[in-house]
Amino acid sequence: MCGFCGFPSAPGHWTEAGSSATAHDRLRARYRRADLLKSILPAQGLTAHDDMQTPGICVGTFSGNQVIAANLAEVWEAAERLSGRVFDPLDPAFLDGGTQDGGER
Amino acid sequence: MIRDGAEGRMKLTILGGFLGSGKTTWLRHQLHADAFGEALVIVNEAAAVPVDDALLYRSTRLAVLPDGCACCAGKEGFLRLMRGIAEDRVDGNSTRGARLEQLVLETSGLADPGAIVDALRSDPVLVHHVVVGEIVVAVDALNGLVQMRGEPLSRRQVETADRLVVTKVDMADEAELKRLLATLRQLNPGAAIAGAALGSGAELPDYADAGAEPLPDLSGRPPAPVIATTLHVDPAIDWTTFSTWMSALLHARGDDILRVKGVVPTPAGRLLLQGVRRVVQPPEILPGGAANVGGTDNEIVVIGRSFDPADLPRSLRRFVEIAS
Repeated sequence: MCGFCGFPSAPGHWTEAGSSATAHDRLRARYRRADLLKSILPAQGLTAHDDMQTPGICVGTFSGNQVIAANLAEVWEAAERLSGRVFDPLDPAFLDGGTQDGGER
Repeated sequence: MIRDGAEGRMKLTILGGFLGSGKTTWLRHQLHADAFGEALVIVNEAAAVPVDDALLYRSTRLAVLPDGCACCAGKEGFLRLMRGIAEDRVDGNSTRGARLEQLVLETSGLADPGAIVDALRSDPVLVHHVVVGEIVVAVDALNGLVQMRGEPLSRRQVETADRLVVTKVDMADEAELKRLLATLRQLNPGAAIAGAALGSGAELPDYADAGAEPLPDLSGRPPAPVIATTLHVDPAIDWTTFSTWMSALLHARGDDILRVKGVVPTPAGRLLLQGVRRVVQPPEILPGGAANVGGTDNEIVVIGRSFDPADLPRSLRRFVEIAS
């Protein structure tokens, strides 16, 4: 656990279990996760940033409001709080290839 | 971070079921038959005066948690007791016999087992000490249907079970019993169903031809049937993409997705994924390396309601498109 920020407070989140064979795997998965969130979150009007140094993922709004999330579950909670709506992968707009705002990406 | 099986943590079996469903009778018999070995049995009662502990004298280790249900009013007390047990175990204070490996929690009849799993998973101490092994829910063959008709809690208990034990089958009318079994199968298509009479195992009739009881809607929402579907995950999809998608899905639809179960091959090994509503257990690494032993890898069973099963693979594909 990091002595400054207390992350992670629990043993790895379930989403991290599949990539922990080696330290390289973990880092690669972390880059991959950051890339994924950078592709997904802008449609919600949000940004994602992981500096690979400090624990957690920084979820922010375009106006600068920011929250540090320890894991993916917290990312989606933060995204809901910051954007005021839930990112729903089963939303028809998402399924049809647009964003939840109705616009094409 | 890797969770290889229980990894030294205590395995907790949660025994739930509605008031009077026969939880204690079943547990008493299981203890007699030595099904839980040297387990510590925790009995939770919503009432202030405990009774069940007197019935469970067979257990060599017993803790009683009266005055409040462990999933709501008595949650703090339950977590405190569990932390105490974990601390004693770490300090080696276990006075009787071997180190404690198994716990059985008999919940009060008013508990939602899902909420207890949630409480344990969110506790920063207990998550290192306890892993939930199985949720067993007792259903009364005589009153089960009536309870499910009128009590949303009774349905929630059934929905979260890994194993349903239908009790008092010797006293039930066969047609009624078949209807109950078909209803249980519809509510929780993923659970194993067993019968019991006076606590010991009993044969269940074949209910393939029986119709399920149409349960009235109690939530005010239009009734939505529970669907069990199997999602085939393309082996080309990496674990990070899949787990990111799944975590988003559970966040958005956690109230509707009751169970997620399956095996996913990953760089770390074959992961057994198990979720109850929003809470996913730390996945266990199964033996067998990357081999697809049972031929069921990459098949994720999703049980829930209010979604179109065809949307799951569509949504995952869409997610992969955006990610690539």
